[in-house]
Amino acid sequence: MSTPESVIADRPGPGLAAVSAPVSGLAGENRGSGNPPAEISQPAAATQPAETQPCIHCGLPTLCDVGTPPERVFCCAGCLGAYQLIHGWGLEDFYALRDQMNLTGAAQAAAKANRYDQFDQPEFLGPSTPVQLGDGTCRTEFAIHGLHCGACAWLIENAAAREPGLLSARVKMSDHTIRFIFDPAITQLSHIARLLDRLGYGLAPIDPNRDDQFQRENRRLLAQIAYAGFFAANAMWIAIALYAGEYSGVEDQYRYFLGLVGTALGAAAVVGPGRTFFVGALASLRTRTPHMDLPLALALSVGTVVGTSNAILGHGHIYFDSLAALVFLLLIGRWIQFRQQQRAARSVDLMLRITPRHATLVSGEDDAGESHRTVLVDTLRPGDVIHVAAGEHVPADGQVVRGQSNMDRSLLTGESLPVPVHMGESVAAGTINLTAPVDVQVTATGRDSRIGRVMQSVEAAATEKIPIVQLADRLGGIFVVTVTCLALATFAFWSQWSLAEATANATALLIVACPCALALATPLAIAVGLGRAAKSNILIRDGQALQQLAKPGVLWFDKTGTLTEGKQRVTTLHGSQDGLRLAASIEASCRHPVAQSIVFEAERRRLTLPSGAILDRVSSGGVLGTVDQSQVCVGNLQHMQQQRIGLTDDWRHRFDQLAAAGESPILIAVDGQVLTLLGLSDPLRPDAQQMVEELKQRGWTLGMLSGDHPGIVLRVADALGLPRQRCFGAMSPEDKLATIRQSRQAGRSVVMIGDGANDAAALAAADVGIALRGGAEVSLQAAPVFIASGRLASLLTLLRGATSTTRLLILTFSLSLAYNLVAVGLAMSGWVSPLAAAILMPLSSVSVLGLTLAWRSFGEKPH
Amino acid sequence: MSVLFLALPLAILLGGAALIACVRCIRSGQYDDLETPGVRMLIEDKEVEPRL
Repeated sequence: MSTPESVIADRPGPGLAAVSAPVSGLAGENRGSGNPPAEISQPAAATQPAETQPCIHCGLPTLCDVGTPPERVFCCAGCLGAYQLIHGWGLEDFYALRDQMNLTGAAQAAAKANRYDQFDQPEFLGPSTPVQLGDGTCRTEFAIHGLHCGACAWLIENAAAREPGLLSARVKMSDHTIRFIFDPAITQLSHIARLLDRLGYGLAPIDPNRDDQFQRENRRLLAQIAYAGFFAANAMWIAIALYAGEYSGVEDQYRYFLGLVGTALGAAAVVGPGRTFFVGALASLRTRTPHMDLPLALALSVGTVVGTSNAILGHGHIYFDSLAALVFLLLIGRWIQFRQQQRAARSVDLMLRITPRHATLVSGEDDAGESHRTVLVDTLRPGDVIHVAAGEHVPADGQVVRGQSNMDRSLLTGESLPVPVHMGESVAAGTINLTAPVDVQVTATGRDSRIGRVMQSVEAAATEKIPIVQLADRLGGIFVVTVTCLALATFAFWSQWSLAEATANATALLIVACPCALALATPLAIAVGLGRAAKSNILIRDGQALQQLAKPGVLWFDKTGTLTEGKQRVTTLHGSQDGLRLAASIEASCRHPVAQSIVFEAERRRLTLPSGAILDRVSSGGVLGTVDQSQVCVGNLQHMQQQRIGLTDDWRHRFDQLAAAGESPILIAVDGQVLTLLGLSDPLRPDAQQMVEELKQRGWTLGMLSGDHPGIVLRVADALGLPRQRCFGAMSPEDKLATIRQSRQAGRSVVMIGDGANDAAALAAADVGIALRGGAEVSLQAAPVFIASGRLASLLTLLRGATSTTRLLILTFSLSLAYNLVAVGLAMSGWVSPLAAAILMPLSSVSVLGLTLAWRSFGEKPH
Repeated sequence: MSVLFLALPLAILLGGAALIACVRCIRSGQYDDLETPGVRMLIEDKEVEPRL
């Protein structure tokens, strides 16, 4: 079943919280299709045939009948009209485009109005602080997210032109930055940021550690292509003159001269831009790992040496045109692959850039009143006191010195339930403050914090990984040996008659056997695979991942947020629905996840909430409120006991049953009488079941590594049909890492899928780490593959695409191998003429190119 | 035909000049962004009042 992604980010707060998993609507659907483990008695959907699905046009949550196809959910007639119009024009791609925008749409929601004021503070801007120009104007540069294509740049620059005081705005699509020149007397940066946000683009200060390596490398490769292209083109027209001369007759002095010039050009191509292949070949010899550069370097060096001596001696074939064209084509192939990988890497970097890097520092702690100031997280020192508002991320490790609240630690530990914290207790960076503002005294920041230590183990795990030898490179190794043997045999055979003939034929063989098409095919196939994957919202930063995903291996899942939604939902209801109605009305203003799930459930059941509810007291175990003159108490067992509300034996029995089933029981009492018992749990993702089935069919060995309680882990395992002995609960990040390392020893490729910081080290250590959207920053950095759609179904798309790309590789290999075989046969028998070689080589490259571009590696239709 | 001895190096020199120009463009970053400049020409120029 497909669900259009919803646009709603329903976790509060800025930054990462807002980008994480906007999956509303899926919970309702879950009941229609999957069979979540938690529905023991009275499945939620049975009482009321209604569910919430996002409106297909605008994404607004809309109540509809169970089983309504997602494409028929409309919140209003206006959306229906717009949807029909768009379809009528054949512009369905709009929805795909819009869903891509969600990546950044959530980021804008995060940038709340007051956040713009920070754009006028130098502490916030960091390297983006405006530079004064001579004439009173200022210049500055920002990272910008939300860009899709040139049209976005057009819109921004056009809008900027209408803004008084903003003299120029220049968008750079290549690194997603924008440069402003503005007049500080007329306009302010906060104003500009607000303007761009209204257009749908978010600004962020430039990362101080911004890596310009991509730009440098890109320019270096382009310059090399320019040199190689110049040499190849000039060598080619000289070659044409020579070939024409063969037939129409050319004086010896001219032929000699043309040959010399051509050889000089060819040699320049090999020595200049072609040097990179020799460097690769040398490295491959030194590390004794086969590499595609090895046969290329062999052909290039032999061709250059023999060609040059032939040109000087004035007889025999000179191969310069083929050599120069070879270098040119191969460099283009490598550049395309480089760009595709960088594109994916850049998209992930943009995701990281929108996480907050600043904190609210509390200064002047005397009675005279304290002031809050925004500072960069890097400038925090142990001992500083920071203010963490409800819904914000805790920016550093520390101890609570004022207030009490609940913390969502799921990104750090995988725990699905929020943990209460009080005065004096410690909180860790990266957790989310859910309910109330707290002041925290910093104890550790950056690398010393708990999440920083996780980062260090990620780096360590990533460096110890041995790079795999790609299929192309393995074949490259075999190629060298075979071709050298054949060349020696040819030389030995022909040397019986003439040494000159033998040299000519052996050289011809070495050159025509040069795996040009092969070396071109790999980067192109990978680049095409990466590009198509990106269209399906899967970002792959490392082309090797495709090859390792092609064959079934061992696959480990994280639980919270990966197999489940990572959010509490009401999955069981005992007693009266009226209790839920009253509870929802007093909890409506609460931000606690339990409160939110109660309100969500009431909305899903289309309950009309009584107005005039008053929330009297909030404590860590529950809330107390008044509705229609009756007192309503919602909370856990301890909370009920504190309020002196007793449970009858019947309720007690149901309560124990629920707790034993792994759900968190929440009681609702009205005027001292328990009315309703709710069971809360973290429901499975709707597509999890189907995906596990299909993965099993494909021959993957599945397992689960979770930081959550072992009982809950086993329950999820049973519901999905995962083998119990391969599902582990209560795993620390170190345990996860150890398990991954251990399973890597078995020799099969090990894949880890996760989203939290507690998965990061395991993601880095696995052969292929796959991070899901909505995950923690560190897990995005650690994993070479990032599923930006956040849908588990994308995993199957990825695996199919990987298999298909590998198949394409093998096919192009066989094709170019066939060409090479024919050419080698001709060369060995002494039949290959320079013209035949000049035609055969580009022919094989062109056919490989055509095949690669026509191949549908990531089924363009995802269904 | 002997003009070839002069014309060929000259042609390559000319081509070389173009190559150097191209590489200078690449090094100065003109090829970093292949998307934005294509649409930039569609934007009306803002009338800039001469500053004193």
